[in-house]
Amino acid sequence: MSSRTYWRSLRQLSDRPAYREATAREFPEGASELPQGVSRRDVLTLLGASLSLAGLTACRRPVDKIVPYVNAPEEIVPGIPLNYATTMPFGTSAYGLVVESHEGRPGKIEGNPLHPSTRGASSAWIQSTIYGLFDPDRSRFPVHAGERDTWEGFLAAWGELAAIHDDDLGEGLAILSEPFSSPTMRRLKDLVQERFPWSYWVTYEPTGDENVYEGIRLATGAELQPVLHLERARRILSIDSDFLVNDPEAVRHGLAFAEGRRLTSPDDPMNRLYVVESGFTPTGAAADHRSALPSGRMAGFTAALAGELAARGLPLELAGAAPSADEVGIDAAWLGALAADLLAHRGAGVIVAGSHLPPAVHSAVATLNAALRNVGTTITFHELRDAAISNRSSFGELVEAIGNGTVKTLMMLGGNPVYDAPVDLDFAAALAGVETSIHLSDQVNETSQAVTWHLPRAHYLESWGDARAVGGALSVIQPLIAPLFGARSDIELLALMATSEERSGRELVGETWDGIDASWNDVLHDGVLAGSTLPPATPEIAPSVSTSELTLPAKAADGELELRLTPSLAVHDGRFANVGWLQELPDPATKITWDNAALISPATAQGLGISSGDVVRLSYRDRVLELPASVLPGHADGAVTVALGYGRTAAGRVGNDVGANAYLLRHSEAPYFDGGARLERTGATHRLATTQDHWVVDELGIEERQRRVGSLVRSGTLEEYRADPEFVTRHDTPHPPLKSLWSEHTYDEGFQWGMSIDLSACIGCNACTVACQSENNIPVVGREQVQNGREMQWIRIDRYFAGSVDAPDEMVFQPVTCMHCENAPCEQVCPVAATVHDSEGLNTMVYNRCIGTRYCSNNCPYKVRRFNFFNYTKDTPAPLGMTYNPDVTVRSRGVMEKCTFCTQRINRAKVDAKLAGRELADGDFQTACQQACPTRAIEFGNVLDTGSKVSAAQGQDRAYRMLEELNNRPRTSYLARIRNRNPVIDEGRS
Amino acid sequence: MKRMLWLAALLLATVGCVRGCPSSRPPIHVNPNMDFQPKYKAQQSSGFFYDGGTMRVPVEGTVPRSTLSPDLRTSPEFTTGIDFWGSQVETHPLPVDEALIARGKERFGIYCAPCHDPNGTGQGILFEKGGIPTTSLLDEKVRDATDGHIFNVITHGQGLMPGYGYPIPVEDRWAIVSYVRELQAEQWWE
Repeated sequence: MSSRTYWRSLRQLSDRPAYREATAREFPEGASELPQGVSRRDVLTLLGASLSLAGLTACRRPVDKIVPYVNAPEEIVPGIPLNYATTMPFGTSAYGLVVESHEGRPGKIEGNPLHPSTRGASSAWIQSTIYGLFDPDRSRFPVHAGERDTWEGFLAAWGELAAIHDDDLGEGLAILSEPFSSPTMRRLKDLVQERFPWSYWVTYEPTGDENVYEGIRLATGAELQPVLHLERARRILSIDSDFLVNDPEAVRHGLAFAEGRRLTSPDDPMNRLYVVESGFTPTGAAADHRSALPSGRMAGFTAALAGELAARGLPLELAGAAPSADEVGIDAAWLGALAADLLAHRGAGVIVAGSHLPPAVHSAVATLNAALRNVGTTITFHELRDAAISNRSSFGELVEAIGNGTVKTLMMLGGNPVYDAPVDLDFAAALAGVETSIHLSDQVNETSQAVTWHLPRAHYLESWGDARAVGGALSVIQPLIAPLFGARSDIELLALMATSEERSGRELVGETWDGIDASWNDVLHDGVLAGSTLPPATPEIAPSVSTSELTLPAKAADGELELRLTPSLAVHDGRFANVGWLQELPDPATKITWDNAALISPATAQGLGISSGDVVRLSYRDRVLELPASVLPGHADGAVTVALGYGRTAAGRVGNDVGANAYLLRHSEAPYFDGGARLERTGATHRLATTQDHWVVDELGIEERQRRVGSLVRSGTLEEYRADPEFVTRHDTPHPPLKSLWSEHTYDEGFQWGMSIDLSACIGCNACTVACQSENNIPVVGREQVQNGREMQWIRIDRYFAGSVDAPDEMVFQPVTCMHCENAPCEQVCPVAATVHDSEGLNTMVYNRCIGTRYCSNNCPYKVRRFNFFNYTKDTPAPLGMTYNPDVTVRSRGVMEKCTFCTQRINRAKVDAKLAGRELADGDFQTACQQACPTRAIEFGNVLDTGSKVSAAQGQDRAYRMLEELNNRPRTSYLARIRNRNPVIDEGRS
Repeated sequence: MKRMLWLAALLLATVGCVRGCPSSRPPIHVNPNMDFQPKYKAQQSSGFFYDGGTMRVPVEGTVPRSTLSPDLRTSPEFTTGIDFWGSQVETHPLPVDEALIARGKERFGIYCAPCHDPNGTGQGILFEKGGIPTTSLLDEKVRDATDGHIFNVITHGQGLMPGYGYPIPVEDRWAIVSYVRELQAEQWWE
């Protein structure tokens, strides 16, 4: 057993006095001091007039009336939620969901267990779309030339435009849409093009999968959708792809990946993941072997891998010489071992490449997968039906056509090209030259402000529609609520264009589905048409890789770096910028909230004299962007990564002016990465709101923690585990026999709730954190409060690095939430008995009793209690209050709160079981985090029930409890992380 | 002492005048104590929606998740009591057994007995106290009515009777129908 040393952050490793001081405090400096001015309320608290709470300020009880239904719908019992299946479209992907509805208002969003795209799980983005629906900054009415207008006004205006374009057959009409995959959209698109045959239809999205489709077209000659079946893969290679988190199909991938490495005993099979990447992504953290390489070298790496595979006997033709491992900049032994492993698992391995890599790489990867006989087993190709994919070059042509003056009318369905189009195209200037521009958008965003007509767009939760999900599965978008602001959906606007008549979305979808043989009510109930996945295509892929196209970049001049632009893990391409939950979500690797930063490796930082928090000037192709730098261990040297989607100016009150707009550096010739960037210090500094040094688990000094972290987060290799299945016990802290000061309660009857978290499965994707925030009414507190260590998320995901600073070989995630200790230290110090144990082992919080002494938080060894320093929810603007779960208290100032094990769900399940006249069974309900988790890392249930899943998990030999030596008897146990190292590589190293 | 007086005066000014000073304003609520939260609860009023409430009607045509079997869920005979040709179903779509009748008896006792009397005679408390004429379920016309008709009367109401589709779930309405048939059979033989 190697004695690994773990560290939380570079700041800790550098052992500065400030860090020592910070760790000695319960909260970071300033956390208990009064904030300056009004900025403490910089997120949501200064917003709008309070509607429902107006009476409070006068200390009088607000006048509240009972407003019942006039004609009560049959299916609704007030207070009992219903669930509806629906589908969330996301580019050419679509996610099957089940949405909870409280008296006709949508609430918590979950995955649909019947749907192949989610299988019941979800992601942070999916969870947070409910916030987008009730966003107080949503567009509420059509705007014409800067003035409020009406739909009737637009109908009249369109009538005139349609007459003009009926005459010119649509020659002066262009339509810019986002990518879609929907039979009804496709049908209406055809109808529009039938009416205006010469019109120009362009599909564009700033960060699409265009390169993937182009590469597959190069290899197969057809436009095919790749679908991964990671559950069948024994060996996986990711070439700069964050397929587990930052990918449209991440939820599916997470589930399948975890299924391929779920251990219940040492003898279970386990897949092995190799990752070559430029940043340090959650996929890299999940890897068994990882190498850092700038994105520009990935093409060369692919060629080198092809060469290595061919040299080892894979029947493969190479058109051109393959570069050597040294030329690529990767360890030759590592590459050799990888190639040997892939060859040994022909038909049971898969290679995945990042969607930002050029088409030649994707073509080569498809060829390699075919040559390795993986096509048809671990990866299948499906016909891309009813879809439109993003196309950068036709977008460029559109801008050119506008410049020529041929486009008189531009219709934009969603999107935000003024903000996110490549900067060299200068879309804003082009748009100004269009006679009539129309933009359908859910917010009055940067583009809406520059058009003739802005139209409010319906959210997917308030519109009818359909979609084809992964593999072509037909899914229905069913509205949960009538449009809040009279908005129209994409299909309704298209129907208006095609017929000059207003049609309802329901009719339009019905017309499309008339041709589909299915029971409509069953499809609405299930959310998906069973068996509608298209059969895999069997493309011919010639075993030939044109290595000459897979070139390495020219040697960088001194001081030049590679610039890599990625969609943000929080706000994606900027579309989620106004979602407070996502802005406040710590980035998995850097733990930065409310900002994007220039990420560089420690070696690069040292060379440039930059440290985290320095404001740097990033220059690329005569353009300059100033933003803070953050040093990320494990990042590729000689490269800088910046997340897109920040620096919005018209996102709304939450998203405006957060971070720096990296689109200002984005050139249409190299939209994802390119050499030639320079980085220099400006001398200024910026205080990044990171959560990584907060909530330090113990305070006994840095050496002590270093020694202890190994017992908090335990990991080993599969070999170690097989040699000694009980290896986790060797990390136990020696302690005298545990004896309590008082007579202890016994918890040996009824339900005794407990949780288990599998660190082998956790990929650090943050879905649980947002699911918990959505379920439990956890407030967003804003940048300044996060800087003060007052973030409120009940689940924090601790991130530890292990190994050397320059090349940490491991990044481990550990979700930490209330452990519900049987012998809880927090309960013993509460002077007012506000936190007490119940008979089912829940450590409960009685909010009304809490007087805010914070003794409990001080005495909690896990630091999982959160304190409401201010009344964060007091001025919740309408309609944001609808995101609150009616079954959970909205806490006020001065109250301590923490994970409740979703006690409201436990009680609802108990009531339901009682009404049905049966015993509550294992699996009757799930906690919010458990339900959202895409890798099923979390199990929850009755620990006394020997047949329950949680008992099975807690009974595994990998199970351990954190800080057990304190005799607090936590109810949550962790399963040690196991990595499936390749012995060939490890032997070569030692 | 002086301070105490001040405090007493302050107390009187804030919470005093509890009795004998009627006011149209709502009572003073000194400790908010999370009694009023910005969440939207059932049957609450709201300033956001045009009708002043928080509750919305589901969008027409949507289908919620259901615990019923797919056969029942999608069967119009079961959910509406009306068959494919538009006429009310002759007989009950559910298998009638003792458990169903027992359930029907229980539900009948809650929802129907106050007017129709536990024996179905139509001489319930409402008739007794208010003299409101109530149909006897033992009447010829009810005996001759189809199961679907009784189901629809429960769902939508008839005459003075309001619809009970909202408080009674579909399965329970069918259970009540079978209990009504049971009552009729019992009374016939007596």
